[in-house]
Amino acid sequence: MLERPLPDKTIWRSASVSVSGVNKQSKMAACYQPNEHVLTPKSSSNAVMAAQRSNGPSVRYYCTAGNGMEPFLAEEVKRKLAAEDVHQMSGKVLFSTSVSIDRVTELKAAERLFLLLKHDSPVRLSVHTNPAKAVSILQARLLGNRNQWTDAVMTWSRLQRELSDRRTHAKASSTSQTVKRTKEGGKGSEGQRKEEEKCNVVTGKPTEEQRGEESVTRRLRSVEGNGAQTVEKKRKSETSQKGETCGEAQALEKRIKRDNEDESSRDKDLWKQRTSEREQEDGDEEERRMVSFTQNVKEGIISETGLQCRGSTDAGVNVTTGINHHMESSSREIDGKAEDCAVEDMEHDKTQLDPSRIQLEMTCAVPVSFRVSCKCTGSLARYFSPQEVSKVIGVGLARSLGWKADLKNPQLEVNVYLSDDHCLMGIPLTRLPLANRSYIRTTGLRSTLAWAMASLAQIQPGFCVVDPMCGVGTILIEAAQEHKAACFLGMDVDDRQLQRASENIEFAELGCRIHLLKASSMVLPLANASVDAVICDLPFGRKFGTKTNMASNLPVIVTEMERILRVGGTLVILLSPQLSCLLKKLLAQKDTDPTSFQKTTPHNLPPPLSSLKHQANLRVSLGAIDGLIHKYVKIDA
Amino acid sequence: MKLLTHNMLTSHVKGVTKGYPLLIKATEVKVNEVEFNPQFVSRMIPKLEWSALVQAAEEDLPGELVADYETNEEFLKKVHRILLEVEVLEGCLQCPESGREFPISRGIPNMLLNEDEA
Repeated sequence: MLERPLPDKTIWRSASVSVSGVNKQSKMAACYQPNEHVLTPKSSSNAVMAAQRSNGPSVRYYCTAGNGMEPFLAEEVKRKLAAEDVHQMSGKVLFSTSVSIDRVTELKAAERLFLLLKHDSPVRLSVHTNPAKAVSILQARLLGNRNQWTDAVMTWSRLQRELSDRRTHAKASSTSQTVKRTKEGGKGSEGQRKEEEKCNVVTGKPTEEQRGEESVTRRLRSVEGNGAQTVEKKRKSETSQKGETCGEAQALEKRIKRDNEDESSRDKDLWKQRTSEREQEDGDEEERRMVSFTQNVKEGIISETGLQCRGSTDAGVNVTTGINHHMESSSREIDGKAEDCAVEDMEHDKTQLDPSRIQLEMTCAVPVSFRVSCKCTGSLARYFSPQEVSKVIGVGLARSLGWKADLKNPQLEVNVYLSDDHCLMGIPLTRLPLANRSYIRTTGLRSTLAWAMASLAQIQPGFCVVDPMCGVGTILIEAAQEHKAACFLGMDVDDRQLQRASENIEFAELGCRIHLLKASSMVLPLANASVDAVICDLPFGRKFGTKTNMASNLPVIVTEMERILRVGGTLVILLSPQLSCLLKKLLAQKDTDPTSFQKTTPHNLPPPLSSLKHQANLRVSLGAIDGLIHKYVKIDA
Repeated sequence: MKLLTHNMLTSHVKGVTKGYPLLIKATEVKVNEVEFNPQFVSRMIPKLEWSALVQAAEEDLPGELVADYETNEEFLKKVHRILLEVEVLEGCLQCPESGREFPISRGIPNMLLNEDEA
């Protein structure tokens, strides 16, 4: 049984107008006392901006979630987004909210975010249905309502625009963060693509030029320094960045290769001048622009003159895999350059690319390119393979809406889940999972899990929270991002892990609140009852230490954790199923034979583990294996 | 190592009854600029061992906490600087009882004990 992790400190109002302002405040209120406004200038400006934006219409979304994470996600959407009609199912949570999309993308317990297209009763086919009839039933059930599709696409493109816009603003107000983040490449998914402003040039206001110039120098330095390393990292899946950028950049790479021949110098100029535009565009036009932009940019960087506006480049530019991190940096670079370039055609550009025109284009069935991704389980899987369902939908959409199927670089992806319980369709809103955090450089434990564990610990302002086996610091960082008035201490025995943790902490700009130690979880260099919470992901049965293994050290480790906790403090640990069983036995044993551990403990203490009161056990999926989260509270023994 | 961390560190060398506070022997100290967050600082103060902080700080800190420190911005700024801005990058921490030295390298103290010390 899962205890409701957080006390409800927020007052949600149902009136949509003022909610966004209340949301931001309430979101923080949920993390600490209502009169506590612990805001750094950066976040306060974001809060102000958020408050100033009014909420849009209610949109229905769904998120995928790892097994075991669904309750956390359901709780999170209610708390942070004032979500309504929250529907939890295996692996997914559906919800409606009118909070702005950029806040939705800040969900911590979610894997991927989708715009809901359809949630219906399952498609049922009787045993005797012939194949042709089956196909037509499927088509009717899934494609029936044409308006549903066009409406969804409109909503989707509106949300994409909002995401781009917000990200631009965020970029403008947090230059230094961007500078750091762009050092990384990231995971990109093959062939997926989303019109994403991050690869567009970011500017529009004169003041940005100054910032742009400043970041240009920083950027050039970092680009040079990290070039090779970054490209290398991009190939590994260790680094992460705000989803859209890296995936976008990789996809761009492909489009560039494809469209090199289509390059026209007129488009190049148009792009250069079009620096303040971040509109969503129809596919091909956008592609050409991206291409010309990229080429200009690449030239710009190679020349390293920084502030020159480059002229047209030859179409045969050799695009390397390093382009993706160049993309990010180049957008900043162009900041400075672009203002020098002709601005006069801006007006012309604006009319060409304004949102209403795009929407008009959409409704006039300008071919949207799409791809269908399908999962079928249950009885339906006997009739259709996922590929067949995809084909049925694909053909149907092409016929009724004139959309173009494009398996490689679609503008839009349609996800279909057909099971015995429901039929669910949606359009992904972000390229990469929300679980890929922009603020974490080297990943360890999946960040959704780390966040969930931190939420179980019920951290309050002023808390001191310890992770005695912090690894690369994922739990500490997730917790510190969520709870801005607490301080965190991480320990590890491994220098390399500590180094990575240190880099992660610096990258996330949390160095003032997260501190590191080289120490052993078996002998914690802290006084008794000195911390408020201990959160830890225990290594799963690997070789622990030089001679011993996890199982035999478990009693000592947990005893140390108990020792440093104050009465009322919480202990949240993630264990393998085997260690979980072992711990249960240990804790049961202490009731019958409390003296059995005395020999192994280094300190004179009351019977160990006797003051840990068990609160909850949760099974979560870690991918190939499962883990168990144990939660305890220290009581007065 | 920030002084906020130092305030919590204890030596657990075998046989030591009071391994606190650790004596700071710094060879390289850096002062960073850290955003001042008064609420955070005033939240941390009650958790500190004040005398240990005064001892470690080598700065002009009152021997005892002033009564209404939460509203005393000047005081909070001072504490903020000492707790979060001063950083010992290289040096060591010495156990007051056993004399054992724990090295600090690249800002991270190494508190690992040898097998015979634990």
